Amino acid sequence: MARIEVPMPQMGESIAEGTVSKWLKKVGDDVARDEPLLEISTDKVDAEIPSPAAGTLAQIVVEEGKTVEVGTVVAFIETEKGALAAPPAQPPVAPAAPPLPAAGPSPAALAAPAPVASAAPATGSTDGDGETAEERLRRRSTPLVRRIAAEHGVDIASVSGTGHAGRVTKQDILSFIDQQRPVEAASSKPARPPAPAEVTGDFWSIFYGQVRHPEFNERPGDRVEPMDRIRRLTADHMVRAKRIAPHVHSFIEIDFTRVDRVRARWKATWEQQGSRVSYTAFVAWACARVLREFPMVNATVSGDSLIFRGEINLGIAVDLNPGLIVPVVRNSDELNLVGLARRISDLAVRARDRKLKPEEIQGATFSITNPGVLGTIVGMPIIPEGTSAILGTGAIEKKTVVIEADGGDAIAIRKRAYFSLGYDHRIVDGADAARFLSRLKETLETFPEDAG
Amino acid sequence: MVTATDRKATRTERPDHVRSTELGKPVTLLEAIREALWEELERDPDVFLMGEDIGAYGGAFKVTDGFLEAFGPDRIIDTPISEAGFTGAAAGAAHMGMRPVVEMQFMDFVSCAYEPLTNYIATSRWRGSGPLPLVVRGPVGGGVRGGPFHSQNPEMAFFHTPGLKIVYPCTPRDAKGLLKAAIRDDDPVLFFEHKKLYRAPFLRETLAPDAAIEVIGRARLHRAGDRLTVITYGMMVHESARAAEILASDGIEIEIIDLRTLLPLDEDAIIESVKKTGRALIVHEDTRTGGLAGELAMRISERAFEWLDAPILRVTALDTPVPYSPPLEDYFLPQTDDIVKAVRYMVSY
Amino acid sequence: MARRTQDRGSASIAGLRRKQLIDIYYYLQLTRQVEQALANLYRQNKILGGLYRSLGQEATAVGSAFALRRATDGTGDVVAPAIRNLGALFVMGAAPVDVMMQYMAKAGSPTRGREQNLHFTDLDRGWIGLISHLGIMIEVMSGVALSFRLRGTDRVALTWTGDGAASTGAFHEGFNLAAVQRAPLVVIVENNGYAYSTPTRRQTAAESFVVRAPAYGVYADECDGNDVLAVYEMTRKAVAHARSGRGAALLEVKTYRRLGHAEHDDQRYVPPGELEAWQARDPITSFEEGAVSAGWLQERDLERVRTKVLKEVDAARETAEASPLPGAEEALAETLGGEHARLPWTRRTPPDPHATG
Repeated sequence: MARIEVPMPQMGESIAEGTVSKWLKKVGDDVARDEPLLEISTDKVDAEIPSPAAGTLAQIVVEEGKTVEVGTVVAFIETEKGALAAPPAQPPVAPAAPPLPAAGPSPAALAAPAPVASAAPATGSTDGDGETAEERLRRRSTPLVRRIAAEHGVDIASVSGTGHAGRVTKQDILSFIDQQRPVEAASSKPARPPAPAEVTGDFWSIFYGQVRHPEFNERPGDRVEPMDRIRRLTADHMVRAKRIAPHVHSFIEIDFTRVDRVRARWKATWEQQGSRVSYTAFVAWACARVLREFPMVNATVSGDSLIFRGEINLGIAVDLNPGLIVPVVRNSDELNLVGLARRISDLAVRARDRKLKPEEIQGATFSITNPGVLGTIVGMPIIPEGTSAILGTGAIEKKTVVIEADGGDAIAIRKRAYFSLGYDHRIVDGADAARFLSRLKETLETFPEDAG
Repeated sequence: MVTATDRKATRTERPDHVRSTELGKPVTLLEAIREALWEELERDPDVFLMGEDIGAYGGAFKVTDGFLEAFGPDRIIDTPISEAGFTGAAAGAAHMGMRPVVEMQFMDFVSCAYEPLTNYIATSRWRGSGPLPLVVRGPVGGGVRGGPFHSQNPEMAFFHTPGLKIVYPCTPRDAKGLLKAAIRDDDPVLFFEHKKLYRAPFLRETLAPDAAIEVIGRARLHRAGDRLTVITYGMMVHESARAAEILASDGIEIEIIDLRTLLPLDEDAIIESVKKTGRALIVHEDTRTGGLAGELAMRISERAFEWLDAPILRVTALDTPVPYSPPLEDYFLPQTDDIVKAVRYMVSY
Repeated sequence: MARRTQDRGSASIAGLRRKQLIDIYYYLQLTRQVEQALANLYRQNKILGGLYRSLGQEATAVGSAFALRRATDGTGDVVAPAIRNLGALFVMGAAPVDVMMQYMAKAGSPTRGREQNLHFTDLDRGWIGLISHLGIMIEVMSGVALSFRLRGTDRVALTWTGDGAASTGAFHEGFNLAAVQRAPLVVIVENNGYAYSTPTRRQTAAESFVVRAPAYGVYADECDGNDVLAVYEMTRKAVAHARSGRGAALLEVKTYRRLGHAEHDDQRYVPPGELEAWQARDPITSFEEGAVSAGWLQERDLERVRTKVLKEVDAARETAEASPLPGAEEALAETLGGEHARLPWTRRTPPDPHATG
């Protein structure tokens, strides 16, 4: 026995309901296929509805006068076995209007989209959880940065940011990771440094990684300032650098007569070009060439290995007054004298304007510092971590010196300066240092006329 | 199905103005298009052209200059002013296996054929009525003081119609290779030619006579870079290139992707580049609202969000009809400076 | 110059053999019975959307299509039936079960459930499926006809338009193009009194549609649309004109749409008495009476045809009802050269916006 459904039909695309006006058959009556079974009325038309199958009207579900939705079963026809082959049970009726998309996860269930990081707003407007927009921007970053942070297990909040509203940029996080040292975030609130974290982990990571500066009592009349970012970075770095490398310093005196002559010869030309070629440029030029002959001075100790750097990237210390920063001339041995001078000058200017890009203060393989420009005769600089040497140049002054001339000794006046090489005695031995300095002296004292 | 019966390919005596490539001389964008049409007419007897003033007059832009004399009035058909009529007729001829190429005198008038293009032609294959190998081509774009009805970029009116292909080259080589591809394609193709590039001297190039047919649906790397990806097409490819020169002198190297085909989009090429540079700037001459940039931004968001190092931004025309007076039109159109400013903002984000 | 084909007597029968008369009757009955079955199915909720019947107009579709050169290998004449030209589809060789499957949106329909009612194409048997927009088919068929002339074949393109569609710009652009290109296109305006609820007098200020013919410079003719043999004769002559290379033709038939625009239209706008008057001129009844009284056919010939048709329709209906609806993924079917629409990311398992293809 098969019961066939009689549905309320859809008499037109926008019709949603129909009313049963009149049943033309009673329950128990026989009915032929397509024989009128009932009358309906809708907004558009009234119509007679033919029976979908031959059989007996088994059940009336919707009485006359009732209005039901299109597709509602209004009656059942019982088909007898052996009669006209009954059509199979009708599939559920789909409405003519396209069905609504299958219910997906509710919006709440879907991952909440990250708030749009707009440019730092001028006002300190707060949102629901009391955080200002600026605070949120500082805490969040672009998807790329967050991905890098996630990949390296870094908490963005612990990285100091140089982007908009203090946002951590890609360079910030990359250099952070590069140094593999968690730097304590710069705080803008004038407060005492946060209580130091508990010392955990193996001793060496802490020793090479963490820095804490002992505190001292303030006295009346003292002025207390929190460390700004650059000071903080410098302070921590210096402590670490001294911990890492056993520092030795060797000195040599350089005669600048030849350099002076070269400068004089080219002065007019350079002025026309608008170039200013400082003594530092000459020194940098000479270092770039000499370092090729002494790879251990352009290298670093790394764990149980020695890394001899392929590039010669000269870090040139720049006085920011206050503060210090060391921009890097990459591949300095590929530049000629004037090119080097220009590059150094540009970096210095931008350093003072705080417009250096993060990649411009990274990657040094050898450093040059020039306290001599301020009058110091000689210095014993600290070797930047990740490198094995630093050259400190002293003041260039006219001196009386003893020279050999005409078969005997004579007194002459020469421009001279003391240079000191600070080096990491783990990789640079005293003899290496001496030979380096000797070669450097020779290069400067026989400076080529056409290096420009 | 019946194919061509006794119509043979026409090997005609080629006039000089379609022989530049053959003779190793450089061609403009327009000349490249002309060569493509001529060569396809020669190669395939089922190809024929329909449009207003294309025969006796040689076309409003002279693209089909000399064609009527060579191929005759049954292959170069001067139609009445009936954009809907002859576009629908192109569909009928395509049903029967021919390959009509319809010229819209200005693509601004393609709106008259919106009906046959979207409801009939785009749906034919899907409805089971078979593919329709027809091309509708014509000049688009502004900057020529043509006013609102001779300067439009109407691609987006058809962009969201499944079943159409939309091609928009900006170099002679691409124009020739892609037009040939479009004519040989079994599906309907809208082919847009920027009228200001038609005869632009800076664009002249010498093409290889046996150049490969280009592939519809593949973008082209116009310029390599690493700081930011510009995704663009048409005239804006060249504006972006100008911007790139300015930015390069500051050490900012931008990558420029010329889409060439708007539908189907070469999404892979776009995503690959954005993943490399982390920044996406979309530049188009079309108006802002509903322009292609919205769709591209969404696709980039879908597939490359975690690689983004700056918001996806765009440089477009204003949301107005194209003005006529030069200062107004110049203000309306995206300028090189807009692109430079956008890039600078994004790389320092 | 407009003609008027009125002969219904021996002049028009001269060209038709007895077998052909039976065939004509078969197609008339098939059209009516299939549509009646569809109406029942519609009211049984097995057909959704709209059902558009040609009750009272069967002669215009059957008579005109019958005058064409038909083939099954893509070499015959080509038609584009409008929504009330089901009879023409049957004459060209369409199967009733295909029509029913189209209406019932089944997977086995010629368009695999993607398109409805008569929107399907068969280029081998010579018909191009319509779309709902009116007038476009005139444009398309003008291109079909143009291709016949360009290729030098003597095939003819024929399509119908209602009095309503004759108002569209597309009608004008398409037909004008065919006329000026001397393309072998025959257009029959089926003036059936109404476009949905709009009577013809609100569609045109002219007395008819065929009066436009001189404006296009084309062959013209008109006849009584409820006289299937008159329709046949008129079409035959126009098709011969087009086939001989002399250009396009505009024909008009006067007939009547006895039911509403669609099943959901109750025709409240029809003045009293009009339906009854036209019922008295039913094309099938007229043909039966005329054929028997003129001695061309006998009642038992007619009865045989009716029985055959009923069986055929029943069988088609059963097959169609029993066949399945398409699987949901059919919605992703091709649009461009084999490329499928993309699976929405929320329909993937798990949902994945990054996935392509």
